[in-house]
Amino acid sequence: MNKLSVNLRVNGRGYDLEVASNKTLLEVLRDQLNLPDTKYGCGTGECGACTVLIDGEVVNSCLTLAAAADGREIRTAVGLEKNGQLHPVQQAFIEETAVQCGYCIPGMVVKSVGLLEKNPDPSEEEIRHWLEGNICRCTGYEKIVDAVKSASKKMASAEVKAVG
Amino acid sequence: MSSRILTDFDLLVPETVPEALEMLNRLQDQVTVVSGGTDVLVAMKFGFDTPYGMSLAKLAGLNYLEFDPQQGLRVGARTTITQLLESPEVKQYYPAIWESAVNFATPQIRNTATLVGNLLRASPAGDGSCAVYALGGKLVFSNEAGEREVDIDDLWVGYATTARNKDELATELRIPIPAANSINAFKRMTRVNEDLAKLNVAVNLTMDGNVCTDARVAMGCVAATPVRLRQTEDLLKGAEINEESLKSLMATVSAEITPIDDQRSTAEYRKQVSGVMVKRAIEQARDRVTA
Amino acid sequence: MGELNVVGKNVERVDIRAKVTGRAVYAADMDMPGMLHGKIIRCLEYAHAKVKSLDFSEAEKMPGVVKCLGPDDVTSKTYNQSVIDLMASEQEAEWMGDIEEQNIFTKHVKFYGDGIGAIIAESEEQAERAAAKVKVEYEPLPVYLTPEQSSAPDAVQFVPEKPGNRAFQLPAEMFPNNCLGWGDVDEAFKEADLIVEDRFYTPKQKQCQMEPNNYIALYDDEGRLNCWASCQMPKLAHVKLARLFEMPMSRVKFNQTVVGGGFGARLGLVMEPEVCALALAVPGRPVKIQQPREEDWLSSPSRHPSDYWMKMGFKKDGTPVAIDAISKNFKGGYYLDGSALASTTGFWLQGMYKVENLRYRGESYFTNQPVCGAYRGYGNPQTNFVLEQIVERGCKELNIDPLEWRKKWHKTVGDNSWIGFTQYSSCALDECLEKGAEAIGWKDKRAKYENQTGVKRRGIGLSVGQHTSGAAPMILEHTTCTVRLNEDASAELLLACSDLGQGSHTTLRQIAAESLGFPIEDVHLNVGDSDANGFDIGAHASRTLYVGGNAVKQACEDAKRQLFERAAKKLEANVEDLDMNLDKEIFVKGSPSKSITAKDICEVGIYNFTNPMTGEANGEAGQIQSYVSYMPDHNSPPFFCTFVEVEVDMETGEVKLLELVSAHDIGRAIHPAICEGQMEGGAQQGLGMALTEEMYFDENGKVKNNSFTDYKMLGASDMPKMTNILVENPDPHGPFGAKSVGEAGLVTPVGAVANAIYQATGIQFTEGPITPEKILKAIKEKEVAA
Repeated sequence: MNKLSVNLRVNGRGYDLEVASNKTLLEVLRDQLNLPDTKYGCGTGECGACTVLIDGEVVNSCLTLAAAADGREIRTAVGLEKNGQLHPVQQAFIEETAVQCGYCIPGMVVKSVGLLEKNPDPSEEEIRHWLEGNICRCTGYEKIVDAVKSASKKMASAEVKAVG
Repeated sequence: MSSRILTDFDLLVPETVPEALEMLNRLQDQVTVVSGGTDVLVAMKFGFDTPYGMSLAKLAGLNYLEFDPQQGLRVGARTTITQLLESPEVKQYYPAIWESAVNFATPQIRNTATLVGNLLRASPAGDGSCAVYALGGKLVFSNEAGEREVDIDDLWVGYATTARNKDELATELRIPIPAANSINAFKRMTRVNEDLAKLNVAVNLTMDGNVCTDARVAMGCVAATPVRLRQTEDLLKGAEINEESLKSLMATVSAEITPIDDQRSTAEYRKQVSGVMVKRAIEQARDRVTA
Repeated sequence: MGELNVVGKNVERVDIRAKVTGRAVYAADMDMPGMLHGKIIRCLEYAHAKVKSLDFSEAEKMPGVVKCLGPDDVTSKTYNQSVIDLMASEQEAEWMGDIEEQNIFTKHVKFYGDGIGAIIAESEEQAERAAAKVKVEYEPLPVYLTPEQSSAPDAVQFVPEKPGNRAFQLPAEMFPNNCLGWGDVDEAFKEADLIVEDRFYTPKQKQCQMEPNNYIALYDDEGRLNCWASCQMPKLAHVKLARLFEMPMSRVKFNQTVVGGGFGARLGLVMEPEVCALALAVPGRPVKIQQPREEDWLSSPSRHPSDYWMKMGFKKDGTPVAIDAISKNFKGGYYLDGSALASTTGFWLQGMYKVENLRYRGESYFTNQPVCGAYRGYGNPQTNFVLEQIVERGCKELNIDPLEWRKKWHKTVGDNSWIGFTQYSSCALDECLEKGAEAIGWKDKRAKYENQTGVKRRGIGLSVGQHTSGAAPMILEHTTCTVRLNEDASAELLLACSDLGQGSHTTLRQIAAESLGFPIEDVHLNVGDSDANGFDIGAHASRTLYVGGNAVKQACEDAKRQLFERAAKKLEANVEDLDMNLDKEIFVKGSPSKSITAKDICEVGIYNFTNPMTGEANGEAGQIQSYVSYMPDHNSPPFFCTFVEVEVDMETGEVKLLELVSAHDIGRAIHPAICEGQMEGGAQQGLGMALTEEMYFDENGKVKNNSFTDYKMLGASDMPKMTNILVENPDPHGPFGAKSVGEAGLVTPVGAVANAIYQATGIQFTEGPITPEKILKAIKEKEVAA
């Protein structure tokens, strides 16, 4: 088993690291970078608890070799806050009470951000289709879908304000 | 039983195709190619073990999707399912592929998994494999000596086994431009929306008015590899497509397949619904054109 | 009741900011200096075998290995990972036949995945690699996967105390003829105009909480055993661990970490014994165990599958004359709560309808399957699947509207409840049924969907239920709560009530704030720390809000009373004449200028000085504290109903979920959004139990789908349009009138979706889950028969 030198940019901060060849990005985030917000749920790409954004695209970090993420821009739930302000998606999850046990939520929030950055005004059907791949066992998805809709409106009005 | 940890291997990260081919030539079947990795990393957590892994993450030049109205579609080996979905030409000319991509696994997997990887996985359940099989095409394999084309009809030689040689890297998938007046579509059945198929089907029919002049029908999850339903194709050729002819197909389809009981369904059920699915796929293809 | 300030409002959940930012710390997220990693060695070759030898010689040589442990390297004391033994009196436990037969590591493997040993190493990867080097020799035994197989005369006995591998039957000492019920069922059937009878199978459903079970334990230098885990019942885990390792409770500390979902999966102990045994083997060093999802699946309990027979007699006018039922539960390899589950399955049956004669026999049999324990609903979804389909068939045969039948025959206030000898204190099921029927358009749709033809056929179905609010008076109910008022008149509550994600720390905080009359920001709950928190059962039986809420309410009211008594002295007024505003100023009603702040009273109680000149104190001395040890004398079950509309594809048997409406009589919604969340999440699990969810086995007892790849749950795009209606009809016993809502949401979707499929296809499905494979097969059989 070899080790590889990689540079990961995580939540805006650069890390030069040695990673073992068989380590997934999930393991490196949690165990080497001490960023446990990204969760292990199944390890096989089914549950989405490990979802991160790599260069703006949602990805299962449990199925990504850490070495393959060399040079890429990674964002996780804990890095979404800006200047002490929660991301509109996080704010919407709070307002809609879209959280119960919370274990799926970092992945769910990241997944929702990944949608709204590409498709700022998704239909309910598009939201539900997009949330496939992230399992929540507590909420029946109802309030999570409401939160994504509400976040979409928040982001649109923030955009208008910024332009206006 | 799965593990939280991947098996041990040395990771190779070639940056050019020649570099990758040199590694494959040297290490042959000691190396596992990791492109999207969404299947092979799961296999590694279940104990699949080779001394070397070769990540294509930095391999330049294989991530492209090119459409030419005469030549057809060229899909680079690193092209993801998401990229197919984003292509208007795929949606227009190859709706079967586009439909196989829409519900392909999950958004995360679609962002990482590749169509070429789906073919090479040689799973009988691969949605992309089923769609490409109906459309026909050629997979390009390269080694240090050069490249060769393998027809999709000759690609799968057994369960999870392809015609790829140990020193070869699949570099490109070539799919011809569908014949004029042809229609194609893909359908699948699953336990819940996000799932591997329990049965999938793709059809590609050339039509003269209501009469089918040529047909390719592919089905997955009903044998050790995806299969073409040759007798059904023969029945379709020359037949008028209407309620009655579609209904008569339903019996022949089930006679052509050899499904098994597994986690996702039963042999009996797959036999029962296979004809319905072919019928519905043809209707879907036809109705899209009429619409 | 006066106007409520906090109760009934959707206040921000106390835990939600940490959860949306990813900063909430679950057990797996904790790292400690010097931490070691444990790997449990599981038998994955056989579902039933004797371990002939366990050879660690190669494993010990692997890098990083600190210790290898087999059955003889840990305590030989046996235990029961469930907690039922702690909740019944000794006499009752003896009658019920509860046993403690589990070993930390076993020499007699009873299911695929049973733990036989462990490796402790410096890293998780090293532990894993070493575990692969352990050599085990087994003597395979015959595998029993059904009660029929395990109760055969020549079957290998699981434990000597349970001949015939019958883990449990209702004891004759408590239930004459081993049956619960009343009347004379056999006689009554003779009077019936219609008898509906069938045999059902309810599936082995898995909780699938998103956080896998992860643990840390440390045997520290003070000689204390510390355990960190997301157990649902931290105080019962505390006492169970102390007993198992024969230590005083003062030397065991249980730390409840953020619980990533429970649903019964972590009701008693899961792998706390294993991780503590590992920690005791390496004093001074913390040991962490994390498992892949597939192993978590095998090593934690599931719902009990059941072979459930029922017979029901009706008069022509619909009058139910008798119900007879036998539920045979598949126990899995170990006993756990074998007695309680088989009993409650019948309790839910006796709680539902006004039927003159009822007889229920509940049994459990050992099988070579992963253990069965608690799962949300605890027998109720099983009974709902069976009873509500039987009722539906009766209504169809008698041409009676199933909604009207249920309105007429459901039990209500004053009737004997599911407990048998206590009466329902509130019931708003009629209002639930009316509101639900209107929301989904029951009448029109029901009529429209009769006699359909064509490929796509729709159906609408209904189901009703009643559940529980705590476990009293059947088994122990007890919550303690201490309230301490700080010198600034903010409140600290010490209690061990669990929040599994359902939101109880938020709702209990609302109850505390309301009862104290304080703003919610001034109330903090100290939870999850067994050193500080007093006794509480933990989260089960939909009890936390109802029992914990009353404990909190009483303790807070007592603290407020003390505050007012001191104020009364100071203001020279009567306590009854005082009131407090939201600025926590206590004043004499009608003369607001005569006032004192709560802070002044609290502060002087703590910083109490005697004037050296006068010898007088500056106020009443002593910090205000209150404490209750609350044991409810009542139980106020919630009533509820669900309507489901489906579309069935007659050519493929596929079911599309179109709409679901549930209405729950919850007494009062302390936090409406949290109540809805329980109903919405419950619906996902109930619909899943009816349609897709089941653990299944090959003939050797190997679990074939212990992963999200092959155990499919409904996803965001599978769920129907949902409407969840809260019906508020305050109960005289619940805190602010509240009843439970935690488990109930799962129950009625099960029967409702089965009944919707029945209307669409004209076929009843007795075997869950109702898959397209089963539906199409039945449709084809019906076609052939026609």
